[in-house]
Amino acid sequence: MKSDRHLFSAEAIVAMQKAVRNKDFNSFKEYSGIINDRARGLNTLRGLFKFKKGHPVALDEVEPVEDIVKRFTTGAMSYGSISREAHETIAIAMNRLGGRSNSGEGGEDEARYPLDSDGSDRKSHTKQIASGRFGVNAAYLANCNELQIKMAQGAKPGEGGQLPGHKVNEEIARVRFTTPGVMLISPPPHHDIYSIEDLSQLIFDLKNANPDARVSVKLVSEVGVGTVAAGVAKGKADMVLISGGDGGTGASPLSSIKYAGTWWELGLAETQQVLVMNKLRSRIRVQTDGQLKTGRDVAIATLLGAEEYGFGSAALVSLGCVMMRACHTNACPVGVATQNPELRKRFTGKPEHLMNFMCFIAEELRGIMAELGFRKLDDMIGRVDMLEVDKAVDHYKAKGLDFSKVLMPPERVDGEPLRCTSQQEHDFSLSLDPELVEACKPAIEKGESLSLDRKIRNCNRSVGATLSYNVTKKYGSEGLPEDTITVNFDGSAGQSFGAFLTKGITFRLKGESNDYFGKGLSGGRLILQPPLDSTFSGFRNIITGNVNLFGASGGEAFINGMAGERFCVRNSGATAVVEGVGDHGCEYMTGGTAVILGPTGVNFAAGMSGGVAYVYDENQLFDTRCNLEMVDIEPIVGEKDIIRLKILVQRHTGYTDSLVGGRILESWEESLPSFVKVMPIEYRKALEKIRERETQNTETTAITEEVFV
Amino acid sequence: MGKTNGFLEYRRTELKYREVDKRLNDYDEVTIDKSIEELVEQGGRCMECGTPFCHIIGCPIINLIPEWNDAIWRGQWKEAYERLEITNNFPEFTGRVCPAPCETSCTLSINDAPVTIKQNERAIIEKAFDEGWVIPRPPKADTGKSVAVIGSGPAGMAASQQLRRAGHAVTLFEKNRKIGGLLRYGIPDFKLEKNVIDRRLEQLTAEGVLFETGVTVGEDISIRYLRDKFDAILFTMGAGEPRDLPVPGRELDGIHYAMDYLGQSNRRVANEPFEERELSARGKTVLVIGGGDTGSDCVGTARRQGAKVVYQYEIMPKPMIWDKPWNPSWPEWPQILRTSSSHKEGCERDWNVETLSFEGKNGTVSKGHFRFIEWLPGGKGTRPSMEAVEGSEFSLEVDLVLLAMGFVHVEHGRAVTDPAVELDGRGNIKADDYRSSVDGIFTAGDANTGASLVVRALNHGRLAAESIHDWLMG
Ligand SMILES: Cc1cc2nc3c(=O)[nH]c(=O)nc-3n(C[C@H](O)[C@H](O)[C@H](O)COP(=O)(O)OP(=O)(O)OC[C@H]3O[C@@H](n4cnc5c(N)ncnc54)[C@H](O)[C@@H]3O)c2cc1C
Ligand code: SF4
Repeated sequence: MKSDRHLFSAEAIVAMQKAVRNKDFNSFKEYSGIINDRARGLNTLRGLFKFKKGHPVALDEVEPVEDIVKRFTTGAMSYGSISREAHETIAIAMNRLGGRSNSGEGGEDEARYPLDSDGSDRKSHTKQIASGRFGVNAAYLANCNELQIKMAQGAKPGEGGQLPGHKVNEEIARVRFTTPGVMLISPPPHHDIYSIEDLSQLIFDLKNANPDARVSVKLVSEVGVGTVAAGVAKGKADMVLISGGDGGTGASPLSSIKYAGTWWELGLAETQQVLVMNKLRSRIRVQTDGQLKTGRDVAIATLLGAEEYGFGSAALVSLGCVMMRACHTNACPVGVATQNPELRKRFTGKPEHLMNFMCFIAEELRGIMAELGFRKLDDMIGRVDMLEVDKAVDHYKAKGLDFSKVLMPPERVDGEPLRCTSQQEHDFSLSLDPELVEACKPAIEKGESLSLDRKIRNCNRSVGATLSYNVTKKYGSEGLPEDTITVNFDGSAGQSFGAFLTKGITFRLKGESNDYFGKGLSGGRLILQPPLDSTFSGFRNIITGNVNLFGASGGEAFINGMAGERFCVRNSGATAVVEGVGDHGCEYMTGGTAVILGPTGVNFAAGMSGGVAYVYDENQLFDTRCNLEMVDIEPIVGEKDIIRLKILVQRHTGYTDSLVGGRILESWEESLPSFVKVMPIEYRKALEKIRERETQNTETTAITEEVFV
Repeated sequence: MGKTNGFLEYRRTELKYREVDKRLNDYDEVTIDKSIEELVEQGGRCMECGTPFCHIIGCPIINLIPEWNDAIWRGQWKEAYERLEITNNFPEFTGRVCPAPCETSCTLSINDAPVTIKQNERAIIEKAFDEGWVIPRPPKADTGKSVAVIGSGPAGMAASQQLRRAGHAVTLFEKNRKIGGLLRYGIPDFKLEKNVIDRRLEQLTAEGVLFETGVTVGEDISIRYLRDKFDAILFTMGAGEPRDLPVPGRELDGIHYAMDYLGQSNRRVANEPFEERELSARGKTVLVIGGGDTGSDCVGTARRQGAKVVYQYEIMPKPMIWDKPWNPSWPEWPQILRTSSSHKEGCERDWNVETLSFEGKNGTVSKGHFRFIEWLPGGKGTRPSMEAVEGSEFSLEVDLVLLAMGFVHVEHGRAVTDPAVELDGRGNIKADDYRSSVDGIFTAGDANTGASLVVRALNHGRLAAESIHDWLMG
């Protein structure tokens, strides 16, 4: 038995950590030598490529490291999957370099938004919006310069797909707007994206929620990704990320060529070709990530068509990760991927380490650029003609593979450039917000209360998002005092009415609304009632479209009438009263309250792990429509529940003149037994434990360890 | 995988030693065996790392450490033994005398005390012997090929066992009276009792390895003869040529090579006859020159023989003092001050000391002259150089001087010169995949690498056996 040292090279980890800690480029070259060799040996597609001979230029003519690193990012690693210390160190390092770090889908602590006294910027400048929408509110969206929509990863369990309850400590729950100890599930799809048009609407929402940020879309590299990327470009995203699925933490080395479909090399090549051939490349930037580890990897990514690059596990290694792959056990001994306070103390990574890593990568890349004869990285993007298959790599797995499609330069219609040369043209001409922001100046600048009346049409989309952005920029998620700004709309509201509406703003709509009403509601109040002169009664008619209050994290909505399907999906903190809902109501809810004063569709409360719903079940059909996998249905007996419910119905009736509400209140004692409470099982347990703890009145920190381990 | 967070729950427990004044009365092992049961929690501290540095970077024989740690934690001792045996022929040797580079590269050593890997290894194999799990594994069929192995240290022993198990007829030649190499005639009993070797030799005998002891190959029997009689030859003769100290007075009586001294001591402990004049430290002022392991073994032996006082001088600077449980140079072997069990038995150590000369009375050494030096860091590619500290000369009255300054290379006896195997720059036998420059002659262990460690000798012995097997079965 010959000794075969074949695991992810421990030697490489050691050499890299030495390099970044001592700022030793020679050690770094040793590291990348090992990695590149291994790439050739077995593990990657790029290992099968080599550079063609170019006309070398002098190294000092090549663009400097400081410019190159601005194109570098770190992969989406959520706070929760890695420790606070690691997450903030990454952010500080990337911000100092002028690159970006990625929040991942775990929300972010608002305390990180203002600069530190020493000028360090601890916030992630790419904020991710994933299907779970954990921690996504107006403040989250406002504090960054890139908003990244993470598209679903199909059957592949993605990073952060599930966060086990024991990792959800108090702090993590706080930034995700969830309950400590309750497992978090990211639903497979985005409930507001079922088509490219939906995606384009979300892009538009985000553009409104932060006009200063670019919007990117993360796609997983797979066959057909080019076509999706083209759709993304048409949907007006500013950047598309082709992700090779590094997985960031705990990634296992790619070991078999049969998974080639998930490698960024293929997806990137396809994306580049489709974008160029469809004359879309010039308006969208392309980023790639997935096991990028050396300057050579970046050079190949560039030639295949990427202008930006993300680093996942390699970045963590620079900060002390030793590829334990114990990430899921919360027992990471170096404090990188753990929430255990004892272990977090062991974190020794410094921003300088990651900065050194990035600079070394850039330096290596410069060397290759000089050799190939590129002075500017821009000139190198998409130059697949400089790549060829390395005949010397004689690997049985590589036999019979045809790379001509991958290495084919695309046809350039009308001289379409190989890289992004312009910007998306976003059309805000039908947006009401610019005018609203103007009109609300006294409120935003001086805190004066004001009330406005406006007409609205269904081509006016995402109303309120930019207004909220302006309030949030100034006041954070605390927003303004209640009802500082009131806008009375009249008409038919377009999609995403009241999206991300923040505290202190009340939108009252007389009329009806399209899909995504109250998307991401962030503390504001929405009141919806039929026009005064309408002949129909609200509770028998759908007054607002599908997917209302999706991903809401706070605030209130009172709807006199029925809502469509997927009401309150992924709600984590808003309170809503409505007079009936379609299928899949309250799916994946983790917090907040929903009161349904009428019939529900099927599959109610599927995957619901937090919050409560009260349902007025007049016909006693509800238990046939509710998905009982994670929730219990119980009568309403507790004093607190009764009072809470009654107040909500009273307020609903007060705000919306609801007939149903009025009737229920008139005969409150008789109506009450018709109400049921939908209570997630895990949530109840977690609440009980928290309550126990609180009554014992011991140190608060103990909650983290005791309750949930 | 051990116990999740086990390392936070359980503390490392160190190996225990017998009390100094008790242990100085005998040559029995100084350590107190822990039972495997006592080590269960220690196994639970192992994290079964995705990248097990102990196994990949630390252990030269690439022991499957996380696997047996986990088995210990689960109480599966036989399984632990079976996993251990896969990579290591003689864990009872390494479990006693290995410096355990596995532990300094254990992931826990980044910021915590490592898993007690070496203790675990030792406990597993002792349990296996106690339970009768260590049984001969003779080959199922003979290949009809034969191999002569020259030199019976750990390299020769491991190679012999592997070759025999592969079906070859193996004869192990040893110039000493007994098998074991430095395990028997170098390392003192208080670190490794010799019945530990005997116990293992029973297994080798039962598997069919033939021993020819008291035969110096090259002198008593020629290489040409061996090449006639055997299909292949393996040189595992160790690096027996000691480094000398060419200073005035070196020829005086009372100045000896450490190996002569230690070898004789081991023979005496084993009641083995020896021809040379008796060397003893009883009542003497002893100076050991050389600060390494061999020197430390001399210290412990001299203490047991009743030395009046023992000094140990080292020419290199004193390494950094480090009393933390973790490794400042993780995962590499740290250059830190090590204090052996022998040092704790009483010894005055000094560093940066250069020996100038000896003087004697009636042909026997009585005094040594020394001075302190300073090391100047070398520039790029050049070694550090030394400079005398002016006015630092001093002398020391001594009765016995032991030269423990390491070994230069394999002994250049006729076994090496007759077949004219090519040597490397340092005088060791050159090899590529354990093949020497002469077809059919192989080499492994210290004879090939220069003085090293038992665990490396074991590993190279195994790998050489593989190379020989491939060549024989070609
Ligand atoms: C005092 C001392 C203490 C040590 N302590 C440790 C320790 O604590 N831990 C550790 O890991 N390592 C230790 N070492 C090092 C370790 O003992 C050696 O690295 C290891 O024994 C080398 O094994 P080997 O099989 O290559 O050679 P050896 O063990 O040197 O065996 C070579 C054998 O070949 C025989 N031989 C030589 N020439 C001939 C010939 N011509 N014909 C027949 N036979 C011949 C010799 O007699 C000898 O028995 C120590 C070394 C010394 C000297
Ligand atoms: S042989 Fe040495 S390095 Fe290997 S496990 Fe045993 S003590 Fe550790």
